[in-house]
Amino acid sequence: MNTVPNRTKHKAQGPRSMLAKERIPRLAGDVSYITIPNPSSSTMNSNRPVSSLIRSQLQHLQHAESARLPKEKRDGRRPEDIGTEAEAASYIAKITNLLHPQGRKRSRSRPPS
Amino acid sequence: MAPGLDALKHIVVLMMENRSFDHMLGSLKATNPLIDGLDGTQSNPDTQGNQVFVQPLAEFQSQLDPDPDHAFPAVDQQIFAGDQSAERVATMKGFVQSYYQQQQDLAHSQKIMYYFSADKLPVLTALANNFVVFNRWFASIPGPTLCNRAFAHYGTSFGQVGMSVFYPQGKSIYERLQDGGRTAKLYYFDQQSSSLEVVNLLQHQPQLFATYDQFLADCKLGRLSDYSFIEPNYSDHDNDDGAQLASDQHPDHNVQEGELFIASVYNAIRANPELWASTALLVVYDEHGGIFDHVPPPPCTPDGYSAGPTSTGLNYTFEFNRLGVRVPAILISPWVPKGGVVGTDRVFEHASIPATVTNHFIGSYTASTKREQNAQTFLDLLSLDAMRTDSVFFNT
Repeated sequence: MNTVPNRTKHKAQGPRSMLAKERIPRLAGDVSYITIPNPSSSTMNSNRPVSSLIRSQLQHLQHAESARLPKEKRDGRRPEDIGTEAEAASYIAKITNLLHPQGRKRSRSRPPS
Repeated sequence: MAPGLDALKHIVVLMMENRSFDHMLGSLKATNPLIDGLDGTQSNPDTQGNQVFVQPLAEFQSQLDPDPDHAFPAVDQQIFAGDQSAERVATMKGFVQSYYQQQQDLAHSQKIMYYFSADKLPVLTALANNFVVFNRWFASIPGPTLCNRAFAHYGTSFGQVGMSVFYPQGKSIYERLQDGGRTAKLYYFDQQSSSLEVVNLLQHQPQLFATYDQFLADCKLGRLSDYSFIEPNYSDHDNDDGAQLASDQHPDHNVQEGELFIASVYNAIRANPELWASTALLVVYDEHGGIFDHVPPPPCTPDGYSAGPTSTGLNYTFEFNRLGVRVPAILISPWVPKGGVVGTDRVFEHASIPATVTNHFIGSYTASTKREQNAQTFLDLLSLDAMRTDSVFFNT
């Protein structure tokens, strides 16, 4: 049976925009709608130490940075000095923006606080 | 040609991180005996010789911390239980002992045998029950992430078994498609997460890349490339939209957030009826992350490279002649049978990805490695004579 859940005023962006109830399309055919839980907000931990995987990613990006920029224009942070996921994300965003500026997120208009 | 293949215009691959088949899908054997999962009898000895049995006690986070070792020597121990003799047999009995070495904590080492009950993974479970599960999709190398991801991009890792920087000597699947007049895109989550392993492509072929927001827009507007490869978010960080949880499911990142991400990718395709009818989505994991699986990796066609003791960290040269540990893989399309399971007689690995994409969109391509040329392709699974009208859709 094609049953569409009640719509809500919940607003979501990014991946969650595809899961928010107000975005559910009316699909033809026999569609089962499955509700999935959100993780607890307390799970966010951008101070988590970087994994060996992210450490390798940092090294790869530093390699690209060295190839692209003269020494005086480089970020200066060494991968081994970056300790947390937040710090890694900051460096990774900077170098990715250098290599692929098209990936920069457009600033969203926000209501005045 | 089967009507599903005739209709196929887009192939999308979502590659997640570091979970084994049994850990994520092993519980489904209880409801579908065709799935080669777990029945509770599988075990590993701990360091005191006691048998540790698999249990459905996996948690979303905090259980696999520290990150289980999955470098080449550790995976060798997990598969062969420490036996390095010439006559050794893959027993899959060394997982607990391998994890024990990281903390010398007996109780904690047993958690490497935990798996998820089906109800804890509603997205993967629904996709597995409604589409096609591969019983034998293996990581390409018994080693870590980057060399395994290289097989998905190039059909080889160019002799690498680790995480080091290397610059490939062959063409990626994206460049092959581009050269052949086709279209391809790598979607990374955002600039803070960026792309793994293909930094050389990001540096020299940036037109091949876009962000995940662009994937959502491309799906909505029907502008998807012939081939798309999607990377999840690899870290907890803030961006302009606020706090972003890592969605790659790499231990110790939150598995539920990965479920949301998989659902988001699926929904984006499913929500566009024309795209849904003409797209095959493969959800696959790059490697097992040191977590237990009970199926011994089989031998495979060597790709002409070898990795000596300096690279493997062991006292032998690896000839790229056997695969890594089994990983979850699900093929999603309205043209595949509901609840389908690919039998144990068909072995897939990440070289199957460029092999399949090349075969469908380009045809004959002689520059690929022998390994890729011998890899199984999977589009024959779009075997139905008529498109299914049943499906699922996810919401929170």
